[in-house]
Amino acid sequence: MNKKMQLIAAVLLIFALAQAVQAQDFSHMEAILERIDAQSRFDGMDFSCVLTMIVEDPEEGIEKLVVRQFRRDDGERYLLLIQEPVTQRGQGYLLEGDNLWFYDPSSRQFAHTSLKETFQDSDVRNADFGQSSYASSYEVEGYLEGILGNFDVYIIELKAVDDTVPFPYAKIWVTKDSNLVLKAEEYSLTRRLMRSALFPKYTKVGEAVIPVQMVFVDELVEGKKTQVSLSEISVSQIPDHVFTKAYIERVNR
Amino acid sequence: MFTLKVAFRNISRQKKRSFLLAGAIAFGMLVITIINALTGGLVANIRENFSHALGGHVFITGREFNERGQIISKIRPDVRMDQLLEDNAGRIQAFTKRSQALPSLIFGSKQTMQLVYGVDFHEEDKLLGSLAVLKGSLAEVLTDEHAVILPQPAANRLGVDVGETILVKLETLTGQQNVGELRVVAFVEDQEQFGLSAAYVSRSYLNTLIGLGPEEYQMLNMFVTDLAFVEDFTRAFREGLLTPEEQQEEEEPTVSVTVGGVPIDPTPRQETITRWEGTRYRVMNINQIMEPVELMVGVLNRVGLVIFIILLLVTMVGITNTFRMILLERTREIGTMRAFGMHQKQVQHIFLWEAVLLGLTGCVAGLALSGLLIAVVGRWPLNVDPSLHFFLNHGRITFSLSAGSIVLNTALVVLTSLVAAYWPSRAAAKLSPIKALSSHT
Repeated sequence: MNKKMQLIAAVLLIFALAQAVQAQDFSHMEAILERIDAQSRFDGMDFSCVLTMIVEDPEEGIEKLVVRQFRRDDGERYLLLIQEPVTQRGQGYLLEGDNLWFYDPSSRQFAHTSLKETFQDSDVRNADFGQSSYASSYEVEGYLEGILGNFDVYIIELKAVDDTVPFPYAKIWVTKDSNLVLKAEEYSLTRRLMRSALFPKYTKVGEAVIPVQMVFVDELVEGKKTQVSLSEISVSQIPDHVFTKAYIERVNR
Repeated sequence: MFTLKVAFRNISRQKKRSFLLAGAIAFGMLVITIINALTGGLVANIRENFSHALGGHVFITGREFNERGQIISKIRPDVRMDQLLEDNAGRIQAFTKRSQALPSLIFGSKQTMQLVYGVDFHEEDKLLGSLAVLKGSLAEVLTDEHAVILPQPAANRLGVDVGETILVKLETLTGQQNVGELRVVAFVEDQEQFGLSAAYVSRSYLNTLIGLGPEEYQMLNMFVTDLAFVEDFTRAFREGLLTPEEQQEEEEPTVSVTVGGVPIDPTPRQETITRWEGTRYRVMNINQIMEPVELMVGVLNRVGLVIFIILLLVTMVGITNTFRMILLERTREIGTMRAFGMHQKQVQHIFLWEAVLLGLTGCVAGLALSGLLIAVVGRWPLNVDPSLHFFLNHGRITFSLSAGSIVLNTALVVLTSLVAAYWPSRAAAKLSPIKALSSHT
């Protein structure tokens, strides 16, 4: 009896140790997620750039979009102004905290939209233009070590902490040394791969490190993908009035 | 009675003329009867087809707040609902519980947005019976949880064939992305032009994709046994499903100032939605949905009436002229009748009775011709564009005519005939017997 008790105690101890080790590993991964979020954030500075998006749609063909972005992470604000194509010039997206507004100069109306929506029928979501929030949106389900191209990476499996996150499951490939996300896969509630994102090129802007080339692939619609590249990057101070509805209306006059 | 007999004899004497006059009236009657019957039939068919497409005559939806303060469309099992269904069982022909979503359907490199209803195919035999299958079979929906019935235009846009599998991309009720697989079992005709294009899948499968429980749903649709009491029926459910809080909100008095009948609110209040507990229901019926259609049909009927009145006015001129001719032809006859003691009123009544008889004969002939035309056209199956099937009953035009409209149209004809004959009849009555007898006509 005594031996039996000892055996049970030993098994429980091993199980507890295994759990503890796993929890410790996960906390390391959680720290990586926090680092990813931190280095994508522009604390105390503004950010602006020009985004060139090439949208490849098997039905619609290839379309080029040029968008000027103004971003201020303090207060979670951004402004996107479409410059090309000419037919959509002047359309804008203004994010103010949780509220995202779309402005159409032809109707001169603002319409409420969502960060979960896709941007102009591309494969980019409105949320992709803001700061990353892996640490607050997801919890680590598991991870592996692997190699992606020439990089040693952690492949971290994530599960949304609640149903506010559009993709309930995700998997990211993060470089071990610099904690840059090289690839991300997003899954549906039924765990079907919906979108892949590749981030082949990064640049350091102030304290932040941001991808300057991105490829988003729709994994459900064959042949649909969007390439995004950033140019004219600046961290100069942006006047407060830029992040207002009045500004979008004014630039359209 | 004597004047009526004389009037009848006079009409019979001039058969050709009477035939032409009554024929003109009959033509007008034919036009208005066909228009009324056609619009009546259209409304009945649209109502019937709408009911089948929407899955009922009375529709109940439910809304509730979730933990995060979002309003979501959901009906949970509810004892109040069960009680109402039990209490009104005698007036319910059938009821169905449906879920719905507006997902992207994807096949290869093609995708299309499509309204999808989640239905319990075992309950909805009426739906299956009303769908016009163009390809495939509906039998498989009863056994295959992943089966989908696609409207033909959606299938064409996707380039999919029966038996192939498509992806369905949608959001759960809380906005999360989800993807499922559906196997196409049949293509059906749809009424896309009327915003009623819908695909049908198993409710339990759609529920799992949008995040509803197996016993939950979003719409309760009911077919009533008699459309005449649909309003009472709707009211019973509306009142029966009101929560005490809703009743209180409805009873709260509102103070408003009106100037010249126009309400003036100095401070326009922004409508705020305060969170409520449990499910709040919205009860609608087919009449509310049919309002715009009936408005359109009402306009069509009014246009028909205007055409009818114009035809009657033209006929009226004809009748007046004819009666003036009759007056000239019968001057000596009138003089003779007056000399033998007939009163002025009796002479006038003969003319007026003739007008009434002509009008009635025209009406009867017009109605008979309409009946004949309706019988012929109504039997003819039409091979028209599928979109027009919405106006038809199993591919046939149907006609529906109310007794009220027949009475109204007949009354209009008789009245205009009387008005048209009034002045000639008065002139006839006022003829001096001596002058009339000395007349050469």
